Amino acid sequence: MPVFILNIPWAALLIIVPLIGMLLAFLFSSAARWMGFITVFLNLIAVLGLAQELSSNGVFQHTVGGWSAPLGIELYADGLSLLLLFTTALVSLGVAVYAAGYFSHSKASSFWPIWLMLLTALNALFLSSDIFNLYVTLELLGLSAVALTALAGGRAALLGAMRYLLTTLGGSLLYLLGVALLYHAYDTVDIQLLSQRVEISPVTWTALGLMFLGLSLKTALFPFHFWLPPAHSSAASPVSALLSALVIKASFYMMLRLWLELFSDFGVIDQVLGLLGALAVLWGSWQALRQTRLKLLVAYSTVAQVGYLFLAFPLAGGNQVFAWYAAGYLLISHALAKSAMFMATGNLLQYGNHDRIADLDRVVQRLPITAGAFAVAGVSIMGLPPSGGFIGKWWLLESALVSGRWDLVTVLILGGLLAAAYIFRVLGYTFTEAPVPHEAKRVPPAMQWIALILASASILLGFLAPQILPWLNIGDALIVVEAGS
Amino acid sequence: MESLKLLSNVFDALLATSLVLLAWRILVHQDLFRTVVLFIAFGLLMALAWVRLDAPDIALAEAAIGAGLSGALLLVALARLQRVTASTEKRTEMTTRFTAPVVIYLIGLTALLGLLLYVVALLPTEGMGLNQALAENLDKSGVSHPVTAVLLNFRAYDTFLELAVLLAAFLGAWSLTDIRHYPAEHIEPVLQVLSHTLFPIMLMVSVYLLWVGATHPGGAFQAGSVLAAAMVLFFLSGGKLRLDFHGKLARVLLIGGVTAFLIVSLVTMLIGNDLLQFPILHAAGFIFFLEFIGMISIAAVLSALFLGCRGNVGRSS
Amino acid sequence: MSSAILYALAGAGVFVLGCYGMVVCQHLLRKILAVNFMGSGVFLVLVAFARQSQEGVPDAVPHAMVITGIVVAVSATALALVLMLKLAEETGAASLKDSDKQ
Repeated sequence: MPVFILNIPWAALLIIVPLIGMLLAFLFSSAARWMGFITVFLNLIAVLGLAQELSSNGVFQHTVGGWSAPLGIELYADGLSLLLLFTTALVSLGVAVYAAGYFSHSKASSFWPIWLMLLTALNALFLSSDIFNLYVTLELLGLSAVALTALAGGRAALLGAMRYLLTTLGGSLLYLLGVALLYHAYDTVDIQLLSQRVEISPVTWTALGLMFLGLSLKTALFPFHFWLPPAHSSAASPVSALLSALVIKASFYMMLRLWLELFSDFGVIDQVLGLLGALAVLWGSWQALRQTRLKLLVAYSTVAQVGYLFLAFPLAGGNQVFAWYAAGYLLISHALAKSAMFMATGNLLQYGNHDRIADLDRVVQRLPITAGAFAVAGVSIMGLPPSGGFIGKWWLLESALVSGRWDLVTVLILGGLLAAAYIFRVLGYTFTEAPVPHEAKRVPPAMQWIALILASASILLGFLAPQILPWLNIGDALIVVEAGS
Repeated sequence: MESLKLLSNVFDALLATSLVLLAWRILVHQDLFRTVVLFIAFGLLMALAWVRLDAPDIALAEAAIGAGLSGALLLVALARLQRVTASTEKRTEMTTRFTAPVVIYLIGLTALLGLLLYVVALLPTEGMGLNQALAENLDKSGVSHPVTAVLLNFRAYDTFLELAVLLAAFLGAWSLTDIRHYPAEHIEPVLQVLSHTLFPIMLMVSVYLLWVGATHPGGAFQAGSVLAAAMVLFFLSGGKLRLDFHGKLARVLLIGGVTAFLIVSLVTMLIGNDLLQFPILHAAGFIFFLEFIGMISIAAVLSALFLGCRGNVGRSS
Repeated sequence: MSSAILYALAGAGVFVLGCYGMVVCQHLLRKILAVNFMGSGVFLVLVAFARQSQEGVPDAVPHAMVITGIVVAVSATALALVLMLKLAEETGAASLKDSDKQ
């Protein structure tokens, strides 16, 4: 008995606690909001507990059911998983506060259980070390995300949700076919074992291609981004925050993990991903600039920012580990900044009943906190110092300069300019007076402040790089192991 | 016997080809109703294929879930869809115009097909898979049927998450539509008699499948889906439950499976084991507990999903 | 024994047909069926090679995976159908083509 008290299995709690919260929120819908708050709070504590365990004991591994791989499933947590779990926990806290004020009672009783199921899926995904188990968590994640998207109701949200559902299912099945091929080639679905057994062969190439194709669809990498703007822009604002900040990152995390553990010797793929990432940055930013509606602008901005993450793939070749650190930093900064941006947009929508950029009627004066949140988040998205986004993009730029990749340097600079253009365009309109003044509705202060807090957190990241980097290094996740060693 | 082997190979070739051809027919056929019926037939052919591939568990699951329940879901959804779109029905175009992106996509698909055929032919045919590890540990699992051992012990965590997936689909459907049974205008008398006869038989079959799953093909999923099929039959023949899906009892039934796994998780951790690690002496008991509650929960969720697809007629959104 | 590979090849074919249907078919019901085909194709590939192990006893792990996959597929199908119905109530048609999209 005493053994249990000392060795709290934080990782298992990360999966169990949100699940219990979901069940309670479903059983007692009148108290759903409170279940949600308690759950995300306990979730953060569990992440901190796991962090403490990782820092004292190194990498965490757990054989579920007592059966070690290849027969059983193993949980695994290192610095990279911790980064994502922590991002999830922070954004979850913010979304919980925001959603509490956002949803009416009837929608809230549907929102909280599904949202807590999504949280379970995210935690389970970031802790899993088994490629079939990852498929199941992906499906749980996808179905929950689609259900949340459709919750907003109305034609646009339903269309967006349907397109999202079909795309995400197709992506999962492409991934699963890759899993099937790998299993029959190497007799295991455990990532650690696979990393020892994987060889370069047509079968492995095909599996890699299928898995990455499926996951790229789910991460909305150009040219597979077509489903994202309609889905993220038509969903309810807290849901958009979740989708852009967290759900997209889950499939990216999987690609990163599979690449680092299994596929890093497969040369040309990183160049392809980098090319698509570059196109995503340019196309997404350009489309964002052209939008007339704010939510669509923010959604296209996500397409662009996801592209930045993929630039790390070609830049990290040749042991430029900094590129991976950049991707990790961009991941967490973007999560915080983008969720803040969607929350701010949600506030504007609630306030004036529209999100037309040209008609943002003196928002700076009337909703200063919200306008401030949007501006501060914009600083991180643009990559201006001193923000987390700046650190990430600066490291990418440094890697590109060191490797002599002038094409990527150009993309990074152009992307930054375009981002500045669309952010400042929006901010410019917040100062202007609309031709026809609009009825103003009150926005609860909690919803405004949480947006500003999340945005500030993404700026704070800019100062905390020396503290954060050592955590990323736990388990040497980002160091690519050469073949044969 | 040689000729028997030749015959069975010919049979397999015919079945495999039929699967592909039927899939093609389903996708291009004009009439939606016939498409759905053909899809049910496809499910049954798949069940046959599973039998030929020595996978009786999957055959049972495919017949019950893949052909039976999916078919029921599709049929009621189609009926409701045709009612809803009756006023605005245009003959839906079946193929998209063959614009450049579509043509490129089709070329890519052909390349993918070629690649997959090549790679599948390359896969090792004498793979051991995980048979050895399974054989060594089967007696410690609490059951003697390997598939049940994998589903409920070795890889129970997958089953845990899978029950969560079922629940997630229910939560989504529940948030979108009003799950309520409605009185059908006219119940076929033959259907009523049939359902009165079949319902108790199906109950028995499902309990049998559950019980026998420890030693033979069967188990919670097969049992749960037969039970769900019995409930579907009950609803279709005009049966009404005094269960309101906003009431507590229904909710408890729906979350039963996930809750059972949660309870077992907490118990195993409290006694100092790994997550979901059953003590070997009591493994059979744990497994039966999970399967029993799981069966009821699976049946509840699948029936609820059926009601969700059937929905309320003419209800404004 | 060699007949198992026939099923795997059929699985590849059904999978690709599913991919075809997802994009080319316009009606949402057909798209949903196409997703199911993609799933069935993968399941065939998973199980066909499981039959090949020695002593004629099939490898149970892919069997368990496919059962899991079938349940996941029916969950996804059910959600997709409900979503399709809701969409049809809103727009009057079961298609992703929205008449007033830009």
